[in-house]
Amino acid sequence: MVQQPANKAGSGRSALSFLLSSLDQTELKRPSSPWLIWSSMIVIWLLSLLPWRLWPPAPDLLLLVIAFWCLNEPHRVGMFTAFVFGLLMDVHDAGLLGAHALAYTLVAYGAVTLTRRLQRFNPVVQALHMLPVFLLSEAVARLMHSWLVGEWAGWMWVWSMLITVALWPLADILLLASQRRLDAVDSGQK
Amino acid sequence: MREHGTIKLFKRGPTAEFRLFVLVVLSLTLLVVDARWRVLDPARQVIAVAMYPFQRLVLAPRDIIARFDSWSDAATLARTEKEALQRQRIELAQLATHAAQLSSENQQLRRLLHVADTVSQPSVAVEVLYEPPNAFSHHLILNKGSSSGIRPGMPVIDEGGVVGQVVRVTPFTSEAALLTDDKVSIPVQVLRNGLRLIAFGGDVTGKVEVRYLTADADIKPGDTLITSGIGGLFPAGLLVARVDRVERDPGSGFALAVATPLSHPERYRHFLVLKVDVSKQQPGQEAGSDGSTTGQ
Repeated sequence: MVQQPANKAGSGRSALSFLLSSLDQTELKRPSSPWLIWSSMIVIWLLSLLPWRLWPPAPDLLLLVIAFWCLNEPHRVGMFTAFVFGLLMDVHDAGLLGAHALAYTLVAYGAVTLTRRLQRFNPVVQALHMLPVFLLSEAVARLMHSWLVGEWAGWMWVWSMLITVALWPLADILLLASQRRLDAVDSGQK
Repeated sequence: MREHGTIKLFKRGPTAEFRLFVLVVLSLTLLVVDARWRVLDPARQVIAVAMYPFQRLVLAPRDIIARFDSWSDAATLARTEKEALQRQRIELAQLATHAAQLSSENQQLRRLLHVADTVSQPSVAVEVLYEPPNAFSHHLILNKGSSSGIRPGMPVIDEGGVVGQVVRVTPFTSEAALLTDDKVSIPVQVLRNGLRLIAFGGDVTGKVEVRYLTADADIKPGDTLITSGIGGLFPAGLLVARVDRVERDPGSGFALAVATPLSHPERYRHFLVLKVDVSKQQPGQEAGSDGSTTGQ
């Protein structure tokens, strides 16, 4: 009586290991180091404090990096991080509190939701998938803001979002470079 | 563990949708509250103070370059300035005697009228820290705040005249709305004939407007607008703007004057904040940024 469950578990385990061995998976990806994730976000945040963002269609690099990590490392970077960084940008821009936070949270949600679908795609396809996420989230935040302020700030933000998405493949190359090199070393050793 | 049927392999928090809901509701609440009331200012101040060292850090290279630049042309600048000053001194000498005469006469007249002398205003020199990228308003962040005695409502001037008004302060920075911001209004009068008016930030970028003039108001292009001192925030006699054109609308019976500010916040980085007494302001109201607080 006592032995039975153990037997069951044992047979289950062997079946499981059989299943696993029969599957030929693509090579395992290393997770990015937390050090890289956080330092990249903080460096881009510091860069965002500089005056180059006065140019209206300037890309939102901070949003790009946050969305990128939400997609690639959803267990480390998520909506809460996005919200906090959004709040910091709101204070810096002396705008209404919550405007950036709302846009960033929505983009992060989009990225976290799409993560399973998009991780196997190349960066260009990822950027195409992310484009509507960026545009919709920003549109929602802009509409809210305009409703409260009583004034529409023009359509320059669409250019800003298009440029941001266009930079996605570049972010992919730069932010995953170290990880790819390690992956290459791993597969070479096999 | 087994009784429950499942083994919890991964640490899992609330679902993504739940987190999204909470954060979106939080952002929306912040947006609405911040747009309607000023209760979030302490939180904003805390974040601003925490961010201040980082802002100074990233802007440090720019400041160092600017300092080096000004140091390297100091000699040339000093020479040209000296020549200009010498010329100016000769020109002003005559004017000065005239002014001395007028001021003694003025003092006598004031004594006669029992009018209090105009008090010279204590002030604090500030520098632009950065210009926030905000499509909705024309604001500047200045490098001194409540620790230097700056309070919301104080006027900001440069050598051309009034630049704007402080609307928000943190311990180390302050935020000034420019005259051209459509939320700023300022009581003015026409220098030529003393006509009292209120100037607003214009719909056209970089202009101020004088609205609700009667159609026959005596104001014409070329008139200079100065602060009238009414409302108590802006001291009287500061230059504000020069009238470009007057649009008279016979249909409504009102006229609108469009004027260009005489200050140049886009050219210089140093300004003066006048430490006027803003304690008369009602708390909770956006200091002087609407007609009801500065108005006549």
